[in-house]
Amino acid sequence: MRLQLARHPITELRWGDFTRLDNTTLEVDQDELRGIIQGDQRIESVDLQLVRPGENCRAGPVLDIIEPRAKEPDASPDFPGVLSSPAIAGRGTSHVLEGAAVTVLDGTPPKGPIRSVLEMSGPASEHSPYSSLQHVVMTPRAQPDLAGHAALNATQTAGLKAAVYLAQAGFGQTPAMTETFRPVGPNEPGHEGLPRVAYVGQIFSRQQTAEVGEQVLYGLNTNGMLPVLMHPNEWLDGALVASYRTSVGGAETYFYQNHPIITELYRRHDAGELNFVGTVATISGLDNEDRDRGTQIAAHLTKWSLNADAAVLTKYGGGVPHADMAETARLLENTGVRTSVMVSDMSRDRRVESALLFNFPEVDAIVYCGGNDTSWVVPPVERVIAGNPDAAETLSVSHTIGASAVVGVANSQGATHLRSVIY
Amino acid sequence: MRVVHYINQFFGGIGGEEAAGSHLEERSGAVGPGRLLEQLLGEGSQIVTTLICGDNFAVEQQDDLTAAVLDKVRDANADLFVAGPCFEAGRYGMASGALCVAVHSELGIPAVTAMHEENPGVDLYREPLYIVDSGANASAMREVLSKMVNLGQKLSADERIGSPIEEGYITRGLIRDAFVDQTSAERLVGMVMDKVNGNPFESEMVSTSFEPIPVPAAVQDMSKAKVMIITDGGLVPTGNPDKIEGMAATRWGSYSIEGKDSLDGDDYEISHGGYDPRHVQEDPDRLVPLDALREMEKEGAIGELHNEFISTSGLANPLSNTRRMGKEMVEKVKAEGVDAVILTST
Repeated sequence: MRLQLARHPITELRWGDFTRLDNTTLEVDQDELRGIIQGDQRIESVDLQLVRPGENCRAGPVLDIIEPRAKEPDASPDFPGVLSSPAIAGRGTSHVLEGAAVTVLDGTPPKGPIRSVLEMSGPASEHSPYSSLQHVVMTPRAQPDLAGHAALNATQTAGLKAAVYLAQAGFGQTPAMTETFRPVGPNEPGHEGLPRVAYVGQIFSRQQTAEVGEQVLYGLNTNGMLPVLMHPNEWLDGALVASYRTSVGGAETYFYQNHPIITELYRRHDAGELNFVGTVATISGLDNEDRDRGTQIAAHLTKWSLNADAAVLTKYGGGVPHADMAETARLLENTGVRTSVMVSDMSRDRRVESALLFNFPEVDAIVYCGGNDTSWVVPPVERVIAGNPDAAETLSVSHTIGASAVVGVANSQGATHLRSVIY
Repeated sequence: MRVVHYINQFFGGIGGEEAAGSHLEERSGAVGPGRLLEQLLGEGSQIVTTLICGDNFAVEQQDDLTAAVLDKVRDANADLFVAGPCFEAGRYGMASGALCVAVHSELGIPAVTAMHEENPGVDLYREPLYIVDSGANASAMREVLSKMVNLGQKLSADERIGSPIEEGYITRGLIRDAFVDQTSAERLVGMVMDKVNGNPFESEMVSTSFEPIPVPAAVQDMSKAKVMIITDGGLVPTGNPDKIEGMAATRWGSYSIEGKDSLDGDDYEISHGGYDPRHVQEDPDRLVPLDALREMEKEGAIGELHNEFISTSGLANPLSNTRRMGKEMVEKVKAEGVDAVILTST
């Protein structure tokens, strides 16, 4: 499984007569892009806007953010299971428009406060990697008579299609940089004697009901899913798509494609510090039996299929995922696999005693992401791009926004710089 | 900076244990360790008043002492209140902690003290205060006072206080956010590498172990017991009359089940954001097992089912909240003569 990223840096995005890449400028044929999105009969119309870093602009609610990437024809397909039949992702060359993003807004009326906002300027933007990207912000409008789940499916799929379409401009162009991932896996030679390290990552929590047609893993909404072994390249290359439900802290397709933990494990693998043996994708349980099934199988695969010496674990969402992740780590520790776990901020009273939902002496290496006491008063902005009129009103004025509501600030995939410290 | 310094009878030069009953005395200027404290505070700062009190008097007459000290600190127009250092002296530590909390909360004047980790004052006041870790030995006086001065000056200037290790205070058990250079992914992988390679590593969070809750005596005769159901599954009457929050709930409610043999999903909703509530919505008896308990009541297996159940939502709730709600519920349960409670969760 050889994955190659042909990286084309993008420093400017503008509308043009043809979609083409001119050095680091991407010109986009708006009509053609619109035609591709509206080629899906479920989409009635789509609002398309270009946004630059530093621009006095705010957008929301964000459903997903996707890095434009397109697979060459002889490679594995783009977003298999969503844009094509399921097939194993992660093989061959992907053209990457580095520095660009497709940001999909949710056009359905909001229920409660807006929990995912893109800030392109102002105090909150300084802490989000998304604010330094060139965005195509799109709001697809589904046919009014469409069921809610079908509208969400159409909206998210439109974003993925747009991302692939844009990146196809890189075909035939010489990339600024080509990155080839070294082969990794439980049986790859060359790193003998180094600690064998695995990643065990949750991709969904069954405390929420997966939508019909939600497409998280190869197009599956995760119902009926058991923990599964995955090659790291599958995460990076389209096997995974963000859930419609924002996890605590956020998990967007962009950071599956640029997975901070997987890329860090690759970096240390290449540096000869560890042997990256693979990953397990899992979900947190609905009830105790579900939890036992999920945690036992995830630990079993890590220990016996990957033969790992160490594992890093992440959760998806709040309390139930927190407990399931800790239980998986406990099971691993008890079979001799050393672990570290990453938790989101659960302490609302800012007390250490409320921070953790487990007390396992062996689960003693904990990375604690912050968020609950970071917020900003953000100024009014000149330009608001909103999924719906209510959101437009909320977003246009000065207001207080918490870290977890700004996409890219708190993040459950490992991208955040925000932690909590004990004092 | 105008400083008021509180010390006990021993450091005040009045006497040892035999003088522990001495009342509060006020001296102008620095006394005992206050002389070194004043020197370390530097130019432009002075100890305007020293307050000295016997250890026994201080803990036995704590309310009177606190009121008197508040008056004197206010009259002195102080910018900073310093108590101790107390080292291992337990009564001195408890008095100093109480006075620092009162001065800070009542007068808004920053306050700092110092104690040994084992001092009982630490357990009582570590959370609201910055308590410098003095160690057990009074020979470290200069070092301890330097740390107190540093903290006191920062608190007065409203400067950011660093970590317990940087500043030398005893961990308060609180957390705050900070932006750091490394991503969480880099820290996560770095930590597991240190662990697997046998190198030291520092967890960013520590587990709290809680005191075991003693098992209460068994109910002698269930056939005579009055039984009540309490749930944290968030079941509330339609409309959620008590506005119980679906996350980090601060409220709870009690709802009548009088005359009912089972619960109908049409009459209830679920205010809880942390589980898939479909099965409970379909049949609330799955969470609040009224149907089964009514049968047991008829069979005589239990004496009586209490005519209300209590409900709240148990999701992402800080312990400070749940402790309070638990106490409130216990009061109600006791007042209504309930003998046994069945707790159901999700």
